Amino acid sequence: MTGDDRDAGSGLAERRGLDEAVVYQPAEDSGLLAEAALEEAHGRVLEVGTGSGWVAQQIAEERGLDTVGSDLNPHAARQARERGVEGVVADLLSPYRADAFDTVCFNPPYLPTDPDNEWGDWMEHALSGGESGRELIEPFLDDVGRVLAPGGVVLLLVSSLTGYDEVLALVEDAGFAAEPVVEESFPFETLTVLALRRA
Amino acid sequence: MKESLMDVICCPLDKADLDLDIDERDDEEILTGTLTCTECGEIYPIEDGIPNLLPPDMREEAMA
Repeated sequence: MTGDDRDAGSGLAERRGLDEAVVYQPAEDSGLLAEAALEEAHGRVLEVGTGSGWVAQQIAEERGLDTVGSDLNPHAARQARERGVEGVVADLLSPYRADAFDTVCFNPPYLPTDPDNEWGDWMEHALSGGESGRELIEPFLDDVGRVLAPGGVVLLLVSSLTGYDEVLALVEDAGFAAEPVVEESFPFETLTVLALRRA
Repeated sequence: MKESLMDVICCPLDKADLDLDIDERDDEEILTGTLTCTECGEIYPIEDGIPNLLPPDMREEAMA
């Protein structure tokens, strides 16, 4: 959205401005996850940590699939809803039923962060993966098998900054086989979207 | 939220079914209401069309 779209002074415009300031907006990683999701998604779809809701919107519009955009951040759930996605405020997978989704997408907060330098706001929740960079990937992988329907697929974005081999080991421990769907290298990191299926 | 969301959500604490109470809705969606756990009785709000299914201890922090 550009500044011209805003009706300055109205409550809605102010709220939108705030939402954008505290919600992770689409970037290279989002584009890569969307590309993989458009290829692999089927059935009922959940995007965890949906942020702006952009990836979920691509899946809903391009593939015509029922898509839920879930985020810890209520500003993010609101942005997802404004994009026509079903927005839910939730902690990872905790309020979803067993076997509920055929496709689960997750672009986790993955930057390894020194605990002394954490900044304690919504943008930190969106970016920081704790000291290892894997603080949210671990509980996600522990629980995703529960909500995934038989024949379902998980699309997980992994950065080389988070430790590709370490994430693969966690994926195997969780009972999944991983297959790279798309990969792209940037000056400071390589991003890969893995498709996980029950081993 | 659409009523079909009820097929995929549950109480985040004990995974039990939720009871939907609608205060306000339009043709497509529930705008305001509550979701109550049929097991533990915890109540989760639906506001501006968005259910907040955070466990109660996380809800206070997140609404700030």
